[in-house]
Amino acid sequence: MNSVHLSNLSRRNFLVSSGVLVVGSYAYTSGFNPVYANSTRTLSPSVYVAIGTNGVVTVTCHRSEMGQGIKTAVAQVVCDELEADWEKVVVAQAEGDAKYGDQNTDGSRSIKNFFMPLRNAGAAAREMLVQAAADSWGVDAAECEARDHAVHHAASSRRAAFGELAHAASELAVPDSPTLKSRETWNHIGKSRIHVDAKNVATGKAVYGADVTLPNMAIAVMVHAPVLGSSPLNVKIPESAKKNARFIGIETIDATPGPIGFNPVGSVAVIAADTFTGIKVAEELEIDWSDSPNQDFDSDSFQQDLREAVKSPGNVWHGVGDASTVLDGAEEKIEAVYETPFLSHAPMEPPSAIANVVGDTVEVLAPVQDPQTTRNTIVSAKNFALKNVKVTPTLLGGAFGRKSKPDFVLEAVELSRRLKRPIRVQWRRENDLQYDYFHAPSVQRYEATLGENGMPTAWRQRTAFPSIMSTVAAPNMVEPANWELDMGFTNTPYRCENQSIEAAGLKAGVRIGWLRSVCNIFHAFGANVFVDELAEQAGMDPIDYRLAMWDGMDVVQGALPSEPGHEFKIERLRNVLQKVRENSDWDRKIADGHALGVAVHHSFLSYVASVLEVDRSDSNYKVTNAHVVLDCGTYVNSDTCIAQMEGAVVFGLSAAQRAKLTFKDGTIQENNFDGYLIARMPDAPSISVELIDSDHLPAGVGEPGVPPVAPALSNAIYKAGGGRRRSLPLI
Amino acid sequence: MSITVNVNGVEHQLDVDENTPLLWVLRDHLALNGTKFGCGRGLCGACTVQIDGTPTRSCLTTVAAVSGRHVSTIESLVDQQPDLIEAWVDENVSQCGYCQSGQLMSAAALLATNAAPTDEDIDFAMAGNICRCGTYGRIRKAIRRTAEARR
Repeated sequence: MNSVHLSNLSRRNFLVSSGVLVVGSYAYTSGFNPVYANSTRTLSPSVYVAIGTNGVVTVTCHRSEMGQGIKTAVAQVVCDELEADWEKVVVAQAEGDAKYGDQNTDGSRSIKNFFMPLRNAGAAAREMLVQAAADSWGVDAAECEARDHAVHHAASSRRAAFGELAHAASELAVPDSPTLKSRETWNHIGKSRIHVDAKNVATGKAVYGADVTLPNMAIAVMVHAPVLGSSPLNVKIPESAKKNARFIGIETIDATPGPIGFNPVGSVAVIAADTFTGIKVAEELEIDWSDSPNQDFDSDSFQQDLREAVKSPGNVWHGVGDASTVLDGAEEKIEAVYETPFLSHAPMEPPSAIANVVGDTVEVLAPVQDPQTTRNTIVSAKNFALKNVKVTPTLLGGAFGRKSKPDFVLEAVELSRRLKRPIRVQWRRENDLQYDYFHAPSVQRYEATLGENGMPTAWRQRTAFPSIMSTVAAPNMVEPANWELDMGFTNTPYRCENQSIEAAGLKAGVRIGWLRSVCNIFHAFGANVFVDELAEQAGMDPIDYRLAMWDGMDVVQGALPSEPGHEFKIERLRNVLQKVRENSDWDRKIADGHALGVAVHHSFLSYVASVLEVDRSDSNYKVTNAHVVLDCGTYVNSDTCIAQMEGAVVFGLSAAQRAKLTFKDGTIQENNFDGYLIARMPDAPSISVELIDSDHLPAGVGEPGVPPVAPALSNAIYKAGGGRRRSLPLI
Repeated sequence: MSITVNVNGVEHQLDVDENTPLLWVLRDHLALNGTKFGCGRGLCGACTVQIDGTPTRSCLTTVAAVSGRHVSTIESLVDQQPDLIEAWVDENVSQCGYCQSGQLMSAAALLATNAAPTDEDIDFAMAGNICRCGTYGRIRKAIRRTAEARR
């Protein structure tokens, strides 16, 4: 576990670092709550929690909030172990600093990785408060109890509030291994809580990247090269702009040579006193761009290359028996090819970042998923000392993986360095869609033969897609990585005595990145539709068929070893599938007008089964109902888990129904929401979610709801008579 | 040139280009940052405000066009329809929250003209507001809850 453990933090460490726990040296505080400025002394046994003498508990959330509810969940965990009053807990946003442990808010792992460190932080504070009370009363700490934001001594009916004890408790040693509460006594973990920012959001007060204004700040509206790798050669500024007093000037940024990584792309920044002036001038600039090796990139021909790639053997990641001999000698085999296109994150908040470079120091405020990587990238790209670079996340107006990549922050830093004033970079939607780190397109080819009982006797699956590594690591790393393949391909639960699992990679002429649930989107699609096709061939119900394939299976092993305590258990996959069968009334005689489709998938160490119901009378197969069952092990905020499943159905429907990006001559063709079609209110079905009560270790919640959606819809459309649709988008 | 606009009941004299979209006047000149920029082309609804009660995309509406009319933004909704905001919080509607100002302004305009909206009414009124987090189901619930409580 790559986190800060309480036992590693001495009292001295805290005293040294306490000054920087108050976030934000700028004159803005909305949503960041540096409340314990009011306290004369604080008790803070870890970087995650501080209790002031006024009794206010400040929980510092070191993960970025992008809608997944992490600020609320982190506070629930600490509050529970501390026995604090929820109404007296506030949440502060941490800046990027290694003292917090990993801050990369990605991969659905905030609670998975930090559940125990956060519990320890709350429990340590509780034990110190209890000890301080016991010392003041001259009684044994074992006779005292913390509850309701106070320590109680029942025998003498004495009570001391946390605030009264904070000063004395802060003098005590931090316990190395505090006693954690038993599961039965949890009063916040596993319960439903309204998000801490809910009221601020609903009143327009929540602060996102573009909502902060610094003195003397200028706006930079970006015009990016139409093709990745191009740089601006000549820029003609219109006469009208030259007469506009609110237009400040332009700055050109060349494409960064070498690996793409998180570096800025070629651009012209229009610097202006306000955003509209910047946009107006940006639209009127005439720019000559340099040639780029990517200027011929075409997504249709790239898709054709992927199709070709799965026709011949790829790298074999798993081979048992002799699939080739059985398949090649078979009189009858089932074969299908599944395809998915480029997708974009398209968070509602386009990238925006504020940087203020003063001499050799940098301060950044931006909606970033990983403030430490942002900070380190600034250090290495711009040669600043780490201690002089401060990065504080604002709220993120959606991210879905996009804002893990701080290219837009580096633009702000570079421009502020040149112009010697605070700069807020503002991307337009067109910039966002053109320069995303795109979700990879894919082609998968499945082949199988079935035995007498309908079960597979031989099975070959091939996948081809451009690896994320070719963008973020090195251009020659084109082969799919083991971690990408363990997203639903090499760790497939569909096994056979003669089986070959193969993969191939191709280099794309645009940036590739991770999008909510990543390769699971296309791998869950291929696997779940193919299994439905096999079930039909075998004359079996799709759920019965899956259960039969899992008969006698225990643990699924992928390309990488399982994390301890997180084995992929068939029992849990089977359980969510059986539950969704009940919840969706799967076996009912469905009315003529409707049809159901199912999919089930394991990702981010969680298990999700989904059934979608479509309206047959609608030519677009409108989804009327969705049933989701989630087993994410131990969960923190039950309502957040349900909300994430609801959101995942809608997010998955965007990809399943209409979203698709295409490139011609290296340039994106869909540059706003009229071309890139996102699910809207009328597309949203009625969604019911069952959350499995479990004492397994906490696992992912933000992403695992997405993968089953597209295959469940394809399977439902088939049942509705719409034919077998093997290519996304389906409508 | 000087333009007078009435925003949330307050008259503002502004020296701006008359073609400046209302969105940027609100955000950059009046520091009313609750109204959000999402697409700049009236496609996503993040910038929705009300002009004389009608939900309007402020990214496509010039400041000159609202001269002499009443602009309401999310910042005034707590005074106009506090029960709607309460329902939004109680239903735990928002995820990232970025689109929610626009969602609320569209929802408030719907409820002001339709005391008992059906799901079809809601779908129609809200179809212009994209939520990438997918909070649509909860938005429906919060609108219905508010309408029912008012009866």
